Amino acid sequence: MEMLFAEASALVAALFTNDAWEISEAIGKPGAWIIGFIVTLGGAAIVLAIYRAVPFIERHFERSVMVWSYLIIAGIIFVEVFRRFVLSEQAPWSTTLPPFLFLIMTWFGCSFNIKLRTHLSFNEFRIAMPPTGRMFCLALDAVLWFGICWIVVVTSSRVAANSASNFQILLGTDDVLQWWFLVTVPLAFVLMAARVLSNLLTDIRNYRSGEEMIQTAVIGGE
Amino acid sequence: MTDATWITIISLGVTVFFMLGVPVFLVIGYWVVACSFVLGLTLDNMGAALSDVFTDGFALLAMPLFILTGDLINRSGIARRLSDFAYSCIGWLRGGLAMAALAACGLFAAISGSNSATTATIGSMLHPEMVKGGYDERFSAATAAAGGTVGIIIPPSIIFIVYGFLMNLPISDLFVAGIIPGTLMVVGMQLVCWVVCKVNGWGHLIPLNLNRVLKTAFGAWLGFFAIGLVLWGIYTGKFSPTEAAGVTVGFCIIVGLISLPLYNIMSKGKAEDRAAVDKSFSEMLVVEGFKLTEIPTITMRSAQITGILAPLIAVSVVMQQILSLLGAQEVIGGFVRGMGGYYAVLFTAMAIVFVAGMILESLPVTIILAPILAPIAHSVGVDPIHFSVIFLVGASIGFITPPYGLNLYVASGVTGVPYFRLLRYSVMYMFALLAVWIFVALTPELATVLLPDR
Repeated sequence: MEMLFAEASALVAALFTNDAWEISEAIGKPGAWIIGFIVTLGGAAIVLAIYRAVPFIERHFERSVMVWSYLIIAGIIFVEVFRRFVLSEQAPWSTTLPPFLFLIMTWFGCSFNIKLRTHLSFNEFRIAMPPTGRMFCLALDAVLWFGICWIVVVTSSRVAANSASNFQILLGTDDVLQWWFLVTVPLAFVLMAARVLSNLLTDIRNYRSGEEMIQTAVIGGE
Repeated sequence: MTDATWITIISLGVTVFFMLGVPVFLVIGYWVVACSFVLGLTLDNMGAALSDVFTDGFALLAMPLFILTGDLINRSGIARRLSDFAYSCIGWLRGGLAMAALAACGLFAAISGSNSATTATIGSMLHPEMVKGGYDERFSAATAAAGGTVGIIIPPSIIFIVYGFLMNLPISDLFVAGIIPGTLMVVGMQLVCWVVCKVNGWGHLIPLNLNRVLKTAFGAWLGFFAIGLVLWGIYTGKFSPTEAAGVTVGFCIIVGLISLPLYNIMSKGKAEDRAAVDKSFSEMLVVEGFKLTEIPTITMRSAQITGILAPLIAVSVVMQQILSLLGAQEVIGGFVRGMGGYYAVLFTAMAIVFVAGMILESLPVTIILAPILAPIAHSVGVDPIHFSVIFLVGASIGFITPPYGLNLYVASGVTGVPYFRLLRYSVMYMFALLAVWIFVALTPELATVLLPDR
C-alpha cells in the first residue's frame, strides 16, 4: 500500500515537471489508479458543480463538441473528394484527422447518452419492478458506470501520455500532436462520471419523493 | 477454481446485469474487465482499444456519415418522396400501403446505412397513415420494424463496413454483394405482408395510375440520384465507402438548403400535407428541404445514435480479443467443423448467428463471431463475400427476434405500440426472412454475381 501511495505521489510530481517522458513513466505504475480514482470522482464533482452553476454549459458543451466534430468530419471528406476530382489535389491530413474527430465525437456522444439514458439496454424486467427494485438497478448502473469511467480515465491517460512521450505526430501534418486528440478520451470519461453522479442524485430525489424514476428515453430528444 | 469456472461465473454474472437492464456497453465492458483479471491481463488494453478502434483507419468513419445521411434525407423530404413513389407503384394491391412501407425501407436503405434509422423514419412517417388506412396498429409497427432489417443489407450498410473493417475484406465488394439479397428480403416480406393483409382484408386500394407513378417517380428523382451516386461511386471505385458517405452527406445538405426557398416559391405557400398526386410537377421538382439553422438539430440526432453504437463497437473489439485469448475460436471452430462438410458447417454457423442475434445487438454479434466463424466457413470452401452476406442477413434478422430485437424497440418507440404486442406480427416477417436467408445461403451467386471482378 505504501508503494502505491509513493507511486501516486511520484505521478503528481511528474505532472508538475511538464515532461511527457516522466509523466508516461509515472502513469504506467499501479499508483496511477489512486490518482485516477481521485481525478474521476473529483473531476466529476467539479464538472457537476460547473454544470449547476452555468446551466448553459450543461446544455451545450457535449452537444457542441458532437455536432461540430461531426460536421467538420463530413465537411473535410466532402470538400477533399471534390478537390480531388476537380483540382486533382487533396490535403494529406484529410484522411487522418477525421478518425480522431470521430474519436472525440464518439466519447462525448457516449457521455450525452448517459445524460439521456439512451444507451442500449433490456429494460423490460426493470420497468416491471417495484420502486425499490428500480432504485437498486439505477444505483447499480451508477456504480458500474463510475467503475468503467475510472478504468478508462487511467488506461486512456496512459495511451495519451505514451503518445506524447513519443512525440507522435498526426500523419499528414508537420506539428499537430496526436495526444491533443487522445487526451479527450479521459476528459470525456470524466464528463461521463459527472453525468452518472447527476443521474444518481436525480434518481435518489425521485425515489424519495415517489416520482417516476425510469422515463422513456427518446433518441434525438432531450 | 479453474479459469474456465471463473469465466462461466463471470458470463452468468453479466447476463444477470443484462437482464436487470444494465446498458449493453457496461455488460460487455465488465465481462472484459473481469476476464482480464482472471487471465492476468493488463487493463491497459482496454484504454488502448477504446482509442485505436477509431483512430487506426478511415473505413469505420463511413458509419456515422451514413447515419447522418439517413437523418438528412428524412428531414429534407427525400424519404417521403421515395415512399410516395413506392405507394403509387403498389398501392393497387391489397395491403399496398404496408408493402409500400417495406419498399420504402428498401429505397431508404439504399441511401442510409442504418437499420434503426430506417425503422424510425419509415415507422414514424407511415405508421399513422397505415392505422388510418385500417391496418392493425401492431401489424403496422411490426412492418416498420421488419422493414428496417434491410437497412443494413442493401448498400450502403454500417454493419458491412464493420465486417469489412474486421475481416479485411473490400467494403465496396460487400456493398455490391448485399444488393440482391437485400432486395429479396424486401420481396419476401412483401409476400408475407400481402398474404396477411389479404386474409384480414386490411388497407384501401388505390388504382394504378401511370400519371401518379410518373409524377411520384419524378418527385423522387433526388432520392434516385443519391442512390445512384452512392452505388456508382462505390461500384466504379471512384470513392471509398467513407468518401461516398461524405459526398452523400454534402449532397443532402446542399439539396436540403437549396430546396427550401425553391419549394416555397413553387408551392406558392399552399398547405404542405397535400397528397403527391395533387401537387404540380414543378412542386415535385424539389423537396421541402430545411433551414441552415436546422442542421445542428439533425446532426445532433445522428451524433447521439453514433454515441450509442460506436462505444459498443469499441468494447466489443476488446471482448473479441479476450475471446481469442480464451481459445473460443478453437472451441467453436472444433464444434462447427465437427458437424461435417460444407452445408453442415454453413447451417451450424447460421444457427449460432441466429441464436446470438436473439440475445445480443448485431454489432457485438458481428465483432465477436465473424472473426471466429468466417475462417471456418472459408476453410470448407464458402466464399468469404458470400459468407459475409449470410452472416449479416442472419444478424439483421436478430433485429426483430426477441428478447433483444433492436428494431422492435425502435418501432415501439416511434409508434407507441408496446414491445411485446409487436411480436405477433414480427414473427411472421421473421419466418419470411429466414426463408430468404436459407435461399441466400444455398445460392452463392446471389451475393457474388454482381461483383465486378467475378
